[in-house]
Amino acid sequence: MNLPLTDPVLLAQDIPDSLVARLRSSGQAVCLRFSWKGDLLASGTAKGTIAIFDLETNGVARKLKGHTNGRTVQSLSWEKSGRYLLSSSIDWKVILWDLKDGSRVRVVSLGAPVYIAELHPQNYLQCVAALYEYRPVLADLTATTPKQHALPNLPKRAPHELDANPEKADAKHFTTVAAFTPTGSHIITGTTKGWLNVISTTTHQTIYSTRLCSKPILLIRLSASGRDLLVNASDTIIRTIKLPDLSSPTLAPDQIRLDVEHKFQDVVNRLSWNHVAFSSSADYVMASTLMNHDIYIWERGHGSLVKILEGPKEELGAVEWHPHRPFVAATGVESGRVYLWSINTPQRWSALAPDFLEVEENEEYIEKEDEFDVQPVEELQKRRLDMEDEEVDVLTVDAEQLEREGGKKGGQGGGGEFFRMPVLLDMNESDSEDEMVAIGTGQFRRKSTAREEREFEDGEEEGDGMGDSGAGVVVQDVEEDTARAGRKRRRP
Amino acid sequence: MSITEHDEPARRSPKRKRSESPNGIPQHDGAPDAAALQYGYDEEMPSELQSPAEQDEDGMAAKRQRRERPRRLNYVPYMTLRGHKRGVAAVKFSPDGRWIASCSADATIKIWDATTGAHSRTLEGHLAGISTIAWSPDSKVLASGSDDKIIRLWDIATGKALPSPLIGHHNYVYSLAFSPKGNMIVSGSYDEAVFLWDVRTARPMRSLPAHSDPVSGVDFVRDGTLIASCSSDGLIRIWDTSTTQCLKTLVHEDNAAVTSVRFSPNGKYVLACTLDSCLRLWNYVDGRCIKTYQGHKNEKYSINAAFGAYTAELGAASEMDGEEPERWAFAVCGSEDGRAVLWDVSSKEVLQELKAHEGVMLGVDVGPDDTIVTCGLDKTIRMWKRQPLPPDANGVHESTVVVPIVAPVVEDSTPVNGTPAGTQEDG
Repeated sequence: MNLPLTDPVLLAQDIPDSLVARLRSSGQAVCLRFSWKGDLLASGTAKGTIAIFDLETNGVARKLKGHTNGRTVQSLSWEKSGRYLLSSSIDWKVILWDLKDGSRVRVVSLGAPVYIAELHPQNYLQCVAALYEYRPVLADLTATTPKQHALPNLPKRAPHELDANPEKADAKHFTTVAAFTPTGSHIITGTTKGWLNVISTTTHQTIYSTRLCSKPILLIRLSASGRDLLVNASDTIIRTIKLPDLSSPTLAPDQIRLDVEHKFQDVVNRLSWNHVAFSSSADYVMASTLMNHDIYIWERGHGSLVKILEGPKEELGAVEWHPHRPFVAATGVESGRVYLWSINTPQRWSALAPDFLEVEENEEYIEKEDEFDVQPVEELQKRRLDMEDEEVDVLTVDAEQLEREGGKKGGQGGGGEFFRMPVLLDMNESDSEDEMVAIGTGQFRRKSTAREEREFEDGEEEGDGMGDSGAGVVVQDVEEDTARAGRKRRRP
Repeated sequence: MSITEHDEPARRSPKRKRSESPNGIPQHDGAPDAAALQYGYDEEMPSELQSPAEQDEDGMAAKRQRRERPRRLNYVPYMTLRGHKRGVAAVKFSPDGRWIASCSADATIKIWDATTGAHSRTLEGHLAGISTIAWSPDSKVLASGSDDKIIRLWDIATGKALPSPLIGHHNYVYSLAFSPKGNMIVSGSYDEAVFLWDVRTARPMRSLPAHSDPVSGVDFVRDGTLIASCSSDGLIRIWDTSTTQCLKTLVHEDNAAVTSVRFSPNGKYVLACTLDSCLRLWNYVDGRCIKTYQGHKNEKYSINAAFGAYTAELGAASEMDGEEPERWAFAVCGSEDGRAVLWDVSSKEVLQELKAHEGVMLGVDVGPDDTIVTCGLDKTIRMWKRQPLPPDANGVHESTVVVPIVAPVVEDSTPVNGTPAGTQEDG
């Protein structure tokens, strides 16, 4: 509901520009995923725990423990309403969590370390997983003992392409990554030999294959619309690919063609990319770099580099773009912190008093004809009251607003039900090891009193305010007297 | 006496769209006949006399016109809850409608069953009077702000205070609100600051340099993205929750101290009480005061206001087989002469005045099933239920209406020392 009052300049900005917060829970975060609504951020650690961050408070909203201690969480996947979360780990397990009470709905052992597991977008009781040196699996979690269907590793080839000795060529050809299309009708997988396969979710058959490169595919991301594919391969090239509407019933497998739209690479330094993501609208592509502290953001129209996000003094691992805001999260490879970038929102002075106006340059004030006319107070009052005759509806909520709140959701179907995560008041906060807690744009507050603030040599925070802010005291960015200023101005 | 009792036929809100100037403000240039034009719609116009064209403008509207907006409401006293030893500052229905919480200058909070009026718990722990309470959205936790500068959270299931109170304000805590998700609390204090708290860690997240006088009211908008605050410096400020920056400031010319602020149920307006005996509805996006409700007396005390909704008839929902009955909104506010006044939000006309309390009436909340709860300096809490209008009613219930009386519920086993609510009204 803050949209009508937000500065249009800020609304037009679609790339984050400044580091606003660092989050930390127990352990070293290695993977991240925003919930569909974007109010929560799940992070998995190298030690097998999962923390859900509340992005309104930047605090931990829930901790989930269930994977084998010490085994890295590999991937996270949210159900649409935000109630269920699927996690996978190299301990062979995928776990479906119910965030209502933090319980495990299903724990499935897939028999091999999991590269990545993803929930079906419409049905949270179905998931696909890519396994280490094994065939990818489509698991149906409806029953308490889940059914697993192995999916093909090998690309679909025309008869003449088949080698004389297929066994030999196809040995060591495994799937490294799998992802659902937004309707869930198809699964797109990438293999160790650089192939992309499109597999039907219903028939489990590969309907189309194409080879992008000879190196393994590392990651596949789909845009929210499902028409764009982002592929990171170990040949240091990120590719965007236009997808046909795979859910269209008229689409025949032989009509599918996947053409590379853009290739992003660093031709000078030959940087390779740790992790890639689309922006919320898929207008931008973002990547974290190996052995480098920056996040690169390219614009897709022309394929040009538009922004380098910097700030942390360490290499960044997983990167995620918020589902609908210019807001980026990334994990630090060494510290395991979660870094958040957003746009800077300066205080507009015109908001502080109704008759303040922001002007580009000085203007000469021309007084109105009747500005200093004395009018009987009562008459003015009466006239004003008489003008208050419009119909006012204080009850009806716009359909648009309702949808934004996620209360009622038409279309799409499945998983649209409303879920609000319970607020846990007994969270064991000793788990959080960070000594400073970010509380907003460039704002940090000390978590406990007696600690050195060596974290903050980066210099973008306000050192002064922080020095004397003990526990429970917060730093203010706007001077205390803005409130007063606003008022004084009104009375000459 | 009061402005309801004038002789001319009561005004009704305009049912049809009048031509409007492009910006939605009716033209008014002060020409002599303007006033007459303004009231053009006020004449009674039976729906059958309206031109068919007008009725066909849209089918729904024509259909609805048959169901007149009632010009009077008939809330009758239903229960009186006693037990507090000093004035009761605020009453709040729990979001699930099961409980009523009240807080008092006697430093206690009492929880009452909203249907039976039975006293359920007394929450003790504050060291000074309590000015404000707020329910968490799941109705499981109650937050209270006290003159001991501390905000406490109470587990309703056990009646115990949660171990970590919210400490940080330098002066009396005056007003509180939970965010719609229940993860944050906003508080306003005599120390002139607005604090935003992380409920999970019980720590302040941000302090808003809000006002230059005590902050008398705070509220969250329905989706939690905005915070409203008001102060006796006469300002109402609207804040962005995520950036905690001021987005808008509302000031009325008179600069009268603002004592409470509340977002409308749909979040598009704010309702504010000021110490010039006015209740104002603001369109905060345009920064315009669009309605001024008068008829009560409020010059000294912090009196809360609330929104409510009413339908044409009681139980109208069932009659109209499935179709949502048309609802209108009312605003209700206490008065320093003990009345509670209900206004129609659009027409500004007084729908009812309740003789609610002896002395100042302080707090009011509107609950489910057409109930209202009020509290005042006379240490009592009153519950009111809407009844059908008697045939000849002209809105003043206490002389005309026979009321089913429920004996007042008295805390614990204290002997019944009150008279039945209805009879007391006549005295």
